[in-house]
Amino acid sequence: MSSSHFVPAQWLPKTNWKTAGLLVPSLLFCSAVSAGPRRQEQHFKVAAHPVITIHNPNGLITVKAWTKAEVMVISTPASDRIEVDAEQMGNRVDVSTRELSDSVAPDDMRADFQINVPEDAELQIHNDAGSVSVANVLGDMNVETVAAGVDLEDAAGYLSVKTVGGSFTCIRCTGRIEASSISGNFRLLDLRSYHVWAQTSSGNILFNGEFLPNGTYSLKNYSGVIELRFSPGDSFDLSATSLKGKVNNEAKLTPSPHQRHFMPRWGNALFGTFNEGRAKIEMTSFDGTINILKRD
Amino acid sequence: MATITCREFLDHLEPWMEGERPQDSLAHVRTCANCSSVIKDLEAIHSEARSWSASEQDAPERVWTSLRAQLEQEGLIRETTPARESTAHAAAPRRGWFAGLFPRLPRPVLAGAYLAALVAVAFALSGPVNKRVNEARWLKGTQISTSPLSAQLNFAEQNSHSYVTRSNPVVAASLHQNLAIVDNYIALCEKSVSEDPQNEVARDYLYEAYQQKADLLTQLTERGENVQ
Repeated sequence: MSSSHFVPAQWLPKTNWKTAGLLVPSLLFCSAVSAGPRRQEQHFKVAAHPVITIHNPNGLITVKAWTKAEVMVISTPASDRIEVDAEQMGNRVDVSTRELSDSVAPDDMRADFQINVPEDAELQIHNDAGSVSVANVLGDMNVETVAAGVDLEDAAGYLSVKTVGGSFTCIRCTGRIEASSISGNFRLLDLRSYHVWAQTSSGNILFNGEFLPNGTYSLKNYSGVIELRFSPGDSFDLSATSLKGKVNNEAKLTPSPHQRHFMPRWGNALFGTFNEGRAKIEMTSFDGTINILKRD
Repeated sequence: MATITCREFLDHLEPWMEGERPQDSLAHVRTCANCSSVIKDLEAIHSEARSWSASEQDAPERVWTSLRAQLEQEGLIRETTPARESTAHAAAPRRGWFAGLFPRLPRPVLAGAYLAALVAVAFALSGPVNKRVNEARWLKGTQISTSPLSAQLNFAEQNSHSYVTRSNPVVAASLHQNLAIVDNYIALCEKSVSEDPQNEVARDYLYEAYQQKADLLTQLTERGENVQ
């Protein structure tokens, strides 16, 4: 980086305030660059079903599966006032960000991660802000954030996601999905999951996936819109209740032969069976709108 | 066999939850769907409470005493009569089934969650008798149960504001913004419940909103602990 401080000699005799005004910020910038992010790459050999834990206050976390029996952690701290620790304990790799002094500014408490793991890895991720993105990991997963959004693609296993305000998108996921938030929006697309439990207070929920036989699908919010898409060949028992909102339905439902439904005492409710009623769907809202729509 | 009424059964709910199963109570539960439902709900809460982290500290005895007093004041539980109380129970020092309902009370903030559960119990117990009595119970129960709950959560909320001053502003803003959302839901749910005390759906939403608030305050507190 020393070359960054080079100043052409021909500029010196002509130095004036304008030039100085340009040079000083440049020099400061170069100094800042030289003390900037320190990219760090670490590799850990692991056995089958390794566990990877990540604790980070803020930053972009990208996790991808690969075919190697190895975990690779590439970290980029935002400042030299924090440090990324990555260490292996048996078949577990713990990654965490820690401050090096007591007075680290919030903006400095940030680190970005690119992590590659075996596809059967189990993940435990805690990231308050920024984002979390995971692709092709088939092991169990637990993700907790405050403001960070969570994107899962082609994930399987037991997927547990909890955010405060962060959104959650799950594409082509299988296995068991449990997600909760207060104001985050949920998008559950092209799922092949036998168990989905999604609850957000003010967020919207979009479910567009398969309803597997004996699968259970519970979608709940307080306000906002819950939208569920179905195809003519789907088979489910449906229960949809909005205490103070509307329930819009395009499915031709028949009275359920599987279980006795009571007439709703409160709000707008809809109960019935579509085709054979192999899956069970429950949708509940306080004053939000529930839409049960045909898939395009 | 002598049968008992719902009222009589609920009067002896506490010993029931401690394991006493008199024949008349057993017979009543078999035939009364409402009381059977109450028992199932309480057992579910009990089971859930047991799963709470064993690493947390026990609540101070005064908390149990205070909460027991509240339930007794509402008429939802009563001191058992000597005739029904077993010798073993009388001899053993105990906190009772109610304390066992939440064997581990976590941080002070989570006392709010506990109290929210208390509200749920109170609501559940208000079910089986007639509508007018239920509504009166609910309204009274609301005043008694939610006042300390709101006060405790509000107190924790006030303290939490100082916790996050050094944490990430995005995180702090998100937590406070969502706290405002939950507060708004609590107000709306309370309004719905006061308008229709029998509304189970509104009560469930209210209960969940209190839980969410307690969770949020816990997160705020934890972040405060991290930065101090």
